[in-house]
Amino acid sequence: MEPLALYLQHLRDVSGLPFYPWLFDFLLVLTFTLHILAVNLVLGGTLVLLWGRLFGGSYGRRLSRSLSRALPITLSWVIVLAVAPLLFIQVLYDPFWYFSNVISAWWALAFLALIALSFSLLYLYYLRGGYEGAGNPLWPLVAFISLLLVAVIIHALSLQALHPEKWPEWAAKGGTEYQSGGKLFALSLPRLLHFLLASMATTGIFLLFYARYFRPRADYDPNYLSWAARTGARLALIFSLLQAAVGIWWLLSLPAEFRFYTHPLFLLGAGFGLLFILYLLLVRHNPEPHAGRIGALLAATVFFMSYTREALRMKYLSRAGYSFASYPVHPSWSSTALFLLTFLMGLVILGYVGLVVYRAGRGQKEVGAHGWGRLSVLLSWLWIVVMVIIGLALSFKNGALP
Amino acid sequence: MYPIWVVPYLSSALVIGLIASFHILPSHLAVGAFWFNVYIEGKAYREGRPELLSFVRRYTLLILIFCFVFGSLSGVGIWYSATVSSPRGISALIHNYVWGWATEWVFFLIEVATIYAYYYTLGKVDERTHLRIGYLYALSAWISMIIITGILAFMLTPGRWLETGRFFDGFFNPTYWPQLGARTFFMFGIAGLYALLIAATLKEREVAREVSRLAGAWGLFGLILGTLFGYWWLKKLPPEARDFLFGGTLPYLSTLLKVAAISGGIVGLYFLLFGILFPRLNNVPLALLTLIILFLGILSGEGLREGVRRPYIINGFMYSHQVVGADLPAKGIASEVEVLNEKGYLSRLGYLPPELRTITEKNRLSVGRILVAHECANCHALSPKGLRSLPRLLKGLGLKTPEDLAGFLEGLDGYPYMPPFVGTEEERLAAGAYLSTLVKENP
Repeated sequence: MEPLALYLQHLRDVSGLPFYPWLFDFLLVLTFTLHILAVNLVLGGTLVLLWGRLFGGSYGRRLSRSLSRALPITLSWVIVLAVAPLLFIQVLYDPFWYFSNVISAWWALAFLALIALSFSLLYLYYLRGGYEGAGNPLWPLVAFISLLLVAVIIHALSLQALHPEKWPEWAAKGGTEYQSGGKLFALSLPRLLHFLLASMATTGIFLLFYARYFRPRADYDPNYLSWAARTGARLALIFSLLQAAVGIWWLLSLPAEFRFYTHPLFLLGAGFGLLFILYLLLVRHNPEPHAGRIGALLAATVFFMSYTREALRMKYLSRAGYSFASYPVHPSWSSTALFLLTFLMGLVILGYVGLVVYRAGRGQKEVGAHGWGRLSVLLSWLWIVVMVIIGLALSFKNGALP
Repeated sequence: MYPIWVVPYLSSALVIGLIASFHILPSHLAVGAFWFNVYIEGKAYREGRPELLSFVRRYTLLILIFCFVFGSLSGVGIWYSATVSSPRGISALIHNYVWGWATEWVFFLIEVATIYAYYYTLGKVDERTHLRIGYLYALSAWISMIIITGILAFMLTPGRWLETGRFFDGFFNPTYWPQLGARTFFMFGIAGLYALLIAATLKEREVAREVSRLAGAWGLFGLILGTLFGYWWLKKLPPEARDFLFGGTLPYLSTLLKVAAISGGIVGLYFLLFGILFPRLNNVPLALLTLIILFLGILSGEGLREGVRRPYIINGFMYSHQVVGADLPAKGIASEVEVLNEKGYLSRLGYLPPELRTITEKNRLSVGRILVAHECANCHALSPKGLRSLPRLLKGLGLKTPEDLAGFLEGLDGYPYMPPFVGTEEERLAAGAYLSTLVKENP
């Protein structure tokens, strides 16, 4: 075995995987898709907020008010949706993720500090007049800049993880005697831009849904909502075209031996992307009634592109002789079932909360669905009771109690 | 082995400790606060007293910002700091408990959904629905504690897992129930103190007084029961941990226990005097001061919980320098100590260039430094000032020559709270040579 492949094998966790890798991989892609959509909305939304507040006229200013409330909430979702992919990436790709983070340790921590800063500033803006259309635009501006830095850091950490062949060189550069963690080592402009440009397209689609959702409310000017929908569709179209161009640039910058343009997942993702652009082109004059279908095309594109990203990662790592398929597996059926059942239960509860919010936002005070609500509370209690019974039984059996 | 991130003065382990201790404040507030919140909200509806809702709104905003900005980020921060400080440690935990964390994540999602729904729909949806959203939040937050406590307690007392390697055998371990009880009730204490702080900012004096009295009672109740469970936890500690704490082996641990107890006492007095008995005296500066004292107590308590686990990350399985020290046949795992003692620690440092993986006269000090960084720097500062400073400690022992220091390393695990220094004799000599420069350079 090559020394690098042997080293990577030794870096793998000795405990192996508690379930088959395909499930972690699927969950990684699924949760990353949700995470990146929320990331796009925060990044693009902050820019649209700034533009609306400063140059957008009365409609733009109105939009900046709505976004000032939506952005901190979305950033919360970004963070919580990051937890799952972060977890699964550590399960499948532990050698790569940890190595990359350790050699850039200070940056990995700065990443979090910068998110905390942006989060605080977005809240500050919202609470100090932003929701009245009068907040200090400096706060979202600084938030946007630090979010961009956050993007550069996570981009570099992800890219460093793909190049184990360069690790010895980077580790040596890190500082005296291999112990600093103060530098970032990798940057690929087309890859970074491809992620950044997607922010504006996603934000555009968000505006479409925004217009459609608030249409029945009497306190929203219909002309303003039509403007928001048209602006959204235009943003999505222009930036998707730009993104496609940058995507081609990225594709061309990949190692030729990958022949990545022939990869079925890439073709599927690109196909959905193309459909998305064509559909937007067709309905651009009156996009609002088509929001559902456009949103579905966007989701499919991002999902398959996220899978494509995994396929690309595997290409890179196979050069170093690594594949997660050979990771030893010790299936833990009980804990896998715990997660899957909890996940289903979570969907029931989230569905209920979503319905309450949806109806409340439309101005409905009696939201109904009490049966669903009672079921949600009951399921939560049931979860606790089942865990306590299993826990007590095992604790007595194993001598952990009394 | 991964490269090592050396943190000057503090040590990388303390970086995790600081972030983790900070996380306790928002996270336990996030868990405990809503039981109090929905109690006050329910009271407002039952007794037809909408003025109480002004407290609910303000209290929720505090939770929203403090817990969901700094709480969630510091939570991820524990992971990140562990990733860069102790990658093999966090990896071992994740590879055994990924489904536990993933399950907890489902409840995080519900928490985020419900906290925003609760805050933004207050007064906009019917009372029954609104209260239910609050209960759903409170339940989800508590469940997230039920889960994470299993993983935390596993690190100290893995129990039967050490034989079976099974998820639930490690999860429901000997210190699980007392720790869950202590955290559950202490969270009411933390929530009570925050409620007192918020109550002190309310303009409606009547509401402020009433909420202060209730918060004082909740807080005191939580503190007393939490202390009882804490006592049970102390009783359930493994013998060696009890010896570190009470037998004088590690005197700093008993100091931490005293600090935690005194802080708890002061906070309890605040609940009694400024909450229950004289709520009109409750004020922002004093409540804030008490909060700082509470934080000191938490810091000490968490430091104690980490300290009694020495010299392990996962007790009886992985040492604090990230070397697996025991067999776990159920998962096909063999202790790494023997292999590394035979083949050398350098055999696993594949990121080093070949010329640094064989010790020569010329590179001895460089390699020695790398080995010391790997095996010591997680917990020890390499500078004369700083946490558990190596030059200071070694000087105190009167060790100077490379040979003496190498001999000292060989018998390191004679100290019950220290991991063995792993590697060949040649590697110990290289490490000793480097350590002797530390002692000489810092007279």
